[in-house]
Amino acid sequence: MSDATTMTTEVASIVAAVDAARGRQRQLVVRGGGSVLDRLPPTDAEELSTAQLTGVIDHRPEDLVITVRAGTPVDELSALLAAHGQECPIEPLAGHGSTVGGRLATALAGPRQLQAGRVRDWVLRVRLVTADARVVTAGGVTVKDVTGYDLCRLATGSWGTIGVIAEVTLKLRPIPIHSAWFAAERPAPRVLAELYRPAAVVTTGEGTLVHLEEHPDDIRAQATAAGLQPADPPAWPTTARAAVDPSRLAELTSLAEATGLTYAAFEGVGVCLLDGDADALAAAGERAAELGGSLLVLDPGRGGPGWGDRTEDTMGLRVRAALDPEQLLLDVRQPR
Amino acid sequence: MDPAVGTSPRGTIPPTTAESALLSELQAALGDDGLRTSALSRATYRRDASFLNADPLAIALPSTREQLATVLRACRDHQVPFTPRAAGTGLAGGATPTGVGGVRPLVISVARMDRLLELDVANRRAHVEPGLVNARLGRAVAAHGLRFAPDPASQIAATLGGNVATNAGGIHVLTYGVMSQHVLAVELMDTDGAVHLLDGRLPEQAGLDLRGVSVGGEGTLGFVVGAWLKLLPAPPAIGTLLAGFDTLEAAAATVGALVTSDRLPDAVELMDARAIALVEGYAQAGYPTDAAAVLLLEYEGLPAGVSAGVDTAARLAGEHGATEVVRAADADQRARIWKGRKAVAGAIAKQAPDFFLQDIVVPRSRLGEMLDAVVAIGEREDLIILNVVHAGDGNLHPFVLFDRREEGVLDRVFAAGHDIVTTALALDGTVTGEHGVGIEKRDFLSQVYTADDLAAQQAVRRAMEPSGLANPDKVLPTTVGCQEARMVPEGAWV
Repeated sequence: MSDATTMTTEVASIVAAVDAARGRQRQLVVRGGGSVLDRLPPTDAEELSTAQLTGVIDHRPEDLVITVRAGTPVDELSALLAAHGQECPIEPLAGHGSTVGGRLATALAGPRQLQAGRVRDWVLRVRLVTADARVVTAGGVTVKDVTGYDLCRLATGSWGTIGVIAEVTLKLRPIPIHSAWFAAERPAPRVLAELYRPAAVVTTGEGTLVHLEEHPDDIRAQATAAGLQPADPPAWPTTARAAVDPSRLAELTSLAEATGLTYAAFEGVGVCLLDGDADALAAAGERAAELGGSLLVLDPGRGGPGWGDRTEDTMGLRVRAALDPEQLLLDVRQPR
Repeated sequence: MDPAVGTSPRGTIPPTTAESALLSELQAALGDDGLRTSALSRATYRRDASFLNADPLAIALPSTREQLATVLRACRDHQVPFTPRAAGTGLAGGATPTGVGGVRPLVISVARMDRLLELDVANRRAHVEPGLVNARLGRAVAAHGLRFAPDPASQIAATLGGNVATNAGGIHVLTYGVMSQHVLAVELMDTDGAVHLLDGRLPEQAGLDLRGVSVGGEGTLGFVVGAWLKLLPAPPAIGTLLAGFDTLEAAAATVGALVTSDRLPDAVELMDARAIALVEGYAQAGYPTDAAAVLLLEYEGLPAGVSAGVDTAARLAGEHGATEVVRAADADQRARIWKGRKAVAGAIAKQAPDFFLQDIVVPRSRLGEMLDAVVAIGEREDLIILNVVHAGDGNLHPFVLFDRREEGVLDRVFAAGHDIVTTALALDGTVTGEHGVGIEKRDFLSQVYTADDLAAQQAVRRAMEPSGLANPDKVLPTTVGCQEARMVPEGAWV
């Protein structure tokens, strides 16, 4: 793995670390909580850890806005916000210690993305350290802002390739006053059509599970109308995740069913979590690619991210080259 | 003299060699009907809904992607800049055809590329051309129990291409988010005529979100030739409430309480006494004419949640001293309450020959301070300013009313506008929430961002649009770093 882990406590130290790596002509990979990085095959790059870059910079409950350092664990953020009856629905990968910066950089989807929207829709401002060791801020602390280009969205899901995310300002909302999981008899597409904006609909080998939020009377009425029964939340497979256009998700789950994979598919979102043997996962990866998507294997023993054939639009390559001409920031998604 | 339709001295200057060559190529590709060069046509396309105006070289009206590709390649070959134009409802000069280095730009209109290409009801999304009017999409999807959430006030005229270009907002941003949240993919054409599908339909593991950058790109990053838009189910229940207050402070405090209550309203609009008086005389919406401010609140969703939300809002308004609270009993009453809000621009047109509309945002908790400041600025400049506010977002739209025939009034109008913007900045706010930067706010960016921030923005712009011909002179300050903010660009006729 890496031969050096640079700890940082302030943005200035990230600047220094990036500058030093440039001087040594070493590629950098950013480490947040390791919830994704530790589950990818090792790289030769130097690691730059944000683990010490934690804590709230500014929380304004009355504005539904919070600014935190990138290394702040998502769980910590959630607990702090819950004390104010608020949340930012960017779900962590269960039990892996995700940081806010890591969640932004990878922008992996949770099942609640169906109703709550994507990670990128909750980001108001990002402070980055770019590959030329400059501090660049994009966005602002207001909930509406069209001042200049939206580089917050460029940073979200960039996998650290356009800069090291150092600080993040997030939009918040009240925690739903009530929520519950149910099992549905009917297939997921029908459930989706029948319910008004459910929080999540998840298809598993055992059936369809539905998460409803908000007013308890509405939840009861919806459950009755759609024939839902109270249920436990689904178990989440952890080995791999496929991402496809949500309209093609059934083509992936049918393959998972046929090949004996354990799966949990986020309906209307397009993500399918998978556990199972290597051959079946490889087949799922091929199917995802045929559907225009990809498979991310989060298990270093299984031989790689699995999305080596990913092709970026020429425009995307130009943007990366403009912001990181020397390719200092490693794209961990590249095959190795 | 009315400068908005006046003919610039440039109108009599013959086209340069490059311009002539471009025009004859366009003539061949588009025919007489697809290319306008007359002084009258050029006057029509001098400006958007702002005051900033300039003389274009000509107006191209392509009907197809192929025609558009030909037009863009011709611009590239002859190095003539172009300004994309949709409905022209923009308020920041984004569609004003300012050129660079004395070269007039070609205006390229999307008016004839206005089809709904595909309506995918099962997957709740629509593929549209840029010239499709926002409200037309709304009507087309309503038949299927769906809605397109972004609803800028101009939606009966504004196009979806324009909404993409400006990252438009509207009344329901508080819970539904701005345009970008509803754009799944953007098709951007470059000056080689190639279409880049900036696809955001994959839920994760995709490339860089250039879709997100292109939304709000104001035509500077390429030409939006299509977009995939997200549709939502129409809400089964809607609850609307009108509350009147004796003071602006009480109304603003109510907004603060609503935003921190356990369910966010889907719309929170504030109008001040001047706005109330104006629209009541025009639209008879039933607002209390003795109130200092009214709040218009809406909750959407399932019936119990909506009902609980309206109850909470009524209680909070009462606790903050509301003098009158009216719940809409039915769809007619709801429509009447909103009629007043939507009639603002029409009412203003009857009251004053001209208005200058600002767009600033402050953190919601600073709303009261910002409203006080706007009142003070109006008094100081001796101008009538009325406030229409997307209060839940902290997004103010002060309307400055005036008559341009009054000598020196424009200086006062722009001084007021400048002070409103700098006040917003001082309150931790920003210079535009939904109207865009265009030319009007361009030079304020140096006050919002550092030189390094702007250099990164410039780098992204050059990488996405290397030709430099796409709507030049917009969004980013021309000289990064040390410019005084100017409301009026040199050479434009105000």
